[in-house]
Amino acid sequence: MRRRKAPDDIPIGFQIAPMIDVVFVIMLFFMVMAGDVKVEHLLKTTLPGKTESFNAENIPDEQSITIQDNGQVQLNEEDMDSPTNPAMPNLTAQMMRLKQNSEASKSLMIVTVTAKEKARYARVIDVMNALSRAHITNVTFGVASED
Amino acid sequence: MAGGGGGGEGEPEFQIAPMVDVLLVLLIFFMSITSAQVLRLDNSIELPVAPDAAKKENSKNEAIVNVKYVESKDAAEIQFESRIYDDPRSLIDVLKARGAADPTYRVVIRGDHRLAAVEISRVMNVAAEAGIANIAFSTLNKK
Repeated sequence: MRRRKAPDDIPIGFQIAPMIDVVFVIMLFFMVMAGDVKVEHLLKTTLPGKTESFNAENIPDEQSITIQDNGQVQLNEEDMDSPTNPAMPNLTAQMMRLKQNSEASKSLMIVTVTAKEKARYARVIDVMNALSRAHITNVTFGVASED
Repeated sequence: MAGGGGGGEGEPEFQIAPMVDVLLVLLIFFMSITSAQVLRLDNSIELPVAPDAAKKENSKNEAIVNVKYVESKDAAEIQFESRIYDDPRSLIDVLKARGAADPTYRVVIRGDHRLAAVEISRVMNVAAEAGIANIAFSTLNKK
């Protein structure tokens, strides 16, 4: 009579197929995750008062942006975009044009962003993001007191 | 004669070993880029979104100041190196000591997007009084 082989006696080799399946699934997971990762970005600024002084022939081209309490953004006292629009296409286009003008006249462009006390920080970042899109780097930020 | 490949009569055999090698390399690549970019910041802070900002490079010459939004008070809570500063002015001496040692030292403000601008301005005033002019605002590339 033939005896059945005990399970311990059966030689089990290394199974490559399930390992590849698992590796594929793990790789797929990381590939999907890699596309959706949130990365930290920085918007740089320099505090006013630390900038170097300019001589008479090299007066910088200064632009002033004001952020009202309700989020309305004004460029040189002129309203730009709607207070709820974070993309700010109008402001970006205006700043790009001003940047081109200052480059043509070979003058340094400085932008001062002044927010009202109750303006939201998110709105300040929206404005600074629009300036970054227009490749403007000399940006200072301050808050205007109510009085 | 063995080796040489090609020109033989038999079907070319599927080589599993190099495929596993390539798979593992790809796996390590995707694992490293995913884990390297995971944010190491306070989850209670909802950073504002600025997709056009410059990507943050790792630097040791910086002070990361967390400015949390306390919803119940509609106010800010300033935190630096795991310590909460009820009076932001007490942070001046700490930053002054750091900034004096390194002129390229900067302050990175990680502020919640719901905060009022004046709360961020207070931290900037602290940096100014500590003699640090380089300020950076921390943002995210996407929501």
